[in-house]
Amino acid sequence: MIEAQGLTKRYGRTTAVDDVSFTVHPGKVTGFLGPNGAGKSTTMRMIVGLDRPTRGTVTVNGRPYAQHRAPLREVGALLDAKAFHTGRSAYNHLWAMAATHGIGRARVREVIEMTGLETVAKKRVGGFSLGMSQRLGVASALLGDPRTLILDEPVNGLDPEGVVWVRNLVRFLASEGRTVFLSSHLMSEMALTADHIMVLGRGRLLADAPVADIVARASGTTVRVRSPHATRLVELLAGPGISVTSDAPGSFEITGSTAEAIGEAAAAAQLVLHELTPIKGSLEDAYMSLTQDSVEYRSTTSGLHPDHLGTRGASGADPVRSAPTASTEGTTR
Amino acid sequence: MSTDVLTSAAGPGTDSDADGVRLTFPRVVTSEWIKFRTLRSTIWTLAITVVVMVGIVTLFSVFFGKQSSGAQDSGGGSIIVFTIAASMAQLAVVVLGALVITGEYSTGMIRSTLTAVPRRLPALWAKGVVLAVSIFVVSSVAVAISVGVMQIILGAKGLAPDLGDGETVRILVGTALYLTAIALFAFAMGALLRHSAATLAAVLGLLLVIESLFQIPWRPLQLISPFLPGTAGANIMAPQSQLDLLSQHAVGAALSPWQGFGVLLAWVAVLLTAAAVLLRRRNA
Repeated sequence: MIEAQGLTKRYGRTTAVDDVSFTVHPGKVTGFLGPNGAGKSTTMRMIVGLDRPTRGTVTVNGRPYAQHRAPLREVGALLDAKAFHTGRSAYNHLWAMAATHGIGRARVREVIEMTGLETVAKKRVGGFSLGMSQRLGVASALLGDPRTLILDEPVNGLDPEGVVWVRNLVRFLASEGRTVFLSSHLMSEMALTADHIMVLGRGRLLADAPVADIVARASGTTVRVRSPHATRLVELLAGPGISVTSDAPGSFEITGSTAEAIGEAAAAAQLVLHELTPIKGSLEDAYMSLTQDSVEYRSTTSGLHPDHLGTRGASGADPVRSAPTASTEGTTR
Repeated sequence: MSTDVLTSAAGPGTDSDADGVRLTFPRVVTSEWIKFRTLRSTIWTLAITVVVMVGIVTLFSVFFGKQSSGAQDSGGGSIIVFTIAASMAQLAVVVLGALVITGEYSTGMIRSTLTAVPRRLPALWAKGVVLAVSIFVVSSVAVAISVGVMQIILGAKGLAPDLGDGETVRILVGTALYLTAIALFAFAMGALLRHSAATLAAVLGLLLVIESLFQIPWRPLQLISPFLPGTAGANIMAPQSQLDLLSQHAVGAALSPWQGFGVLLAWVAVLLTAAAVLLRRRNA
């Protein structure tokens, strides 16, 4: 269980994490998503006390991490794949880490086996590939048999076999009742691994919900409408939980209602509709739309995504704009 | 597959006392000792320390034996070789002292260390203990070998150091103490600067260049000079006769051997305190 209250971190004038509160529950995999620079790593570093929060608190299993008698027993953290001395062997690294807590050498050999590092355990870490370093990071995290695992981008640099291995490992650890907090910027990976998702953008928490909810929110709840009576229709539909965005005169998107409800309302008021299209989304779309304003380093090619096009009216010329064309990348659900 | 019902009490690894898995200071020292001896740089720098000490003492003894015809006062002259030998060997222990901590920052290891020891200060103290004990033991061994070599080369001529003499013993133990303290000085500077090159530049620049510049006969410099870490600390290795000679011309304070060493320890204490305060505050 990880509980954060009003967690804030500033570096000089940059606010990396801005008043974030959340709870990560045991027994499931919680995915932590966000674009590069969103503050994911900073948040994770604050949980284990590597960074001092500017404001706010964060506890693990009821206490600040540093106040536990056996910190490695509470939290196993993989925060970056380069947290090793390059001149020391993998075995000696793990042995030294284990020694701080009186963890035996049998456990060191065990985590080496679990992570498939047997053949390179006696080699110096300096020669490790990114994938091997990640495995050593996972081995370090597992050393204390911790109740909570915090893994920052663990699949980064792993081969496909390694990606599946991490996925199965974290699912297994969660099924044992442990808290698993996993960050990634890869939506597709999260869709397969996580039960619950938190999305961070520009240091703020944009979403904190079960995967199913986030997908549901993204699919079928937004409807694209074109009508010569747009203004009257919008007045008619206005209500709590309904938001309307317009990108061109007579064309708008309604979120929070369904195509059926809008169509019936229009018919009842005898208003003409030129288009009524439910926009289906994927988890990826949900993520994209959540974070589109909070991407710090955006490449120009991201403009290929229709949601990111400045000239949204142009896409409105396509009368059948729906899921398949709306999503140029990733999977559609 | 996910189960919300599992309480934390039923979860794994709840009772950390059951199997004795727990963070303690002696264990952190053990961990730092493992880290210390599993790096090649440690072995190399310690080996160089011994080789340099013994090598210089051997060369000196050979020449000293040839030049002296017994006019010297019973081995008192040959003891000054330890000041010379230590001034060379200190380069190796300074490098080791700095790398013990800056090596962790340059590689990223510090994040693993501080995750395992989140209160941070125990890790700093444990590193200091391991470094100090190791260097004291290794330099004591180097001094012992050196004394043996001198005994072999100069013993027959009666020029070898007299181990029954209090001052000789103070100088021999003082050599090991000086090397230990100067390594801790570099260690503290490393903990403060967190950068290998910057630390070595600062410490070696101070010991080799800046302290020499303070010998320039200009009063303000000469007043400060006796209190600089290397100058003050080296008093512990100097024969009293030499210190007396220097004090006749001294403008500033004339520190006794132990006062001088105390000044070096004070430098170490101040730097370590500053490093400890910053270690607590800074992001790793």
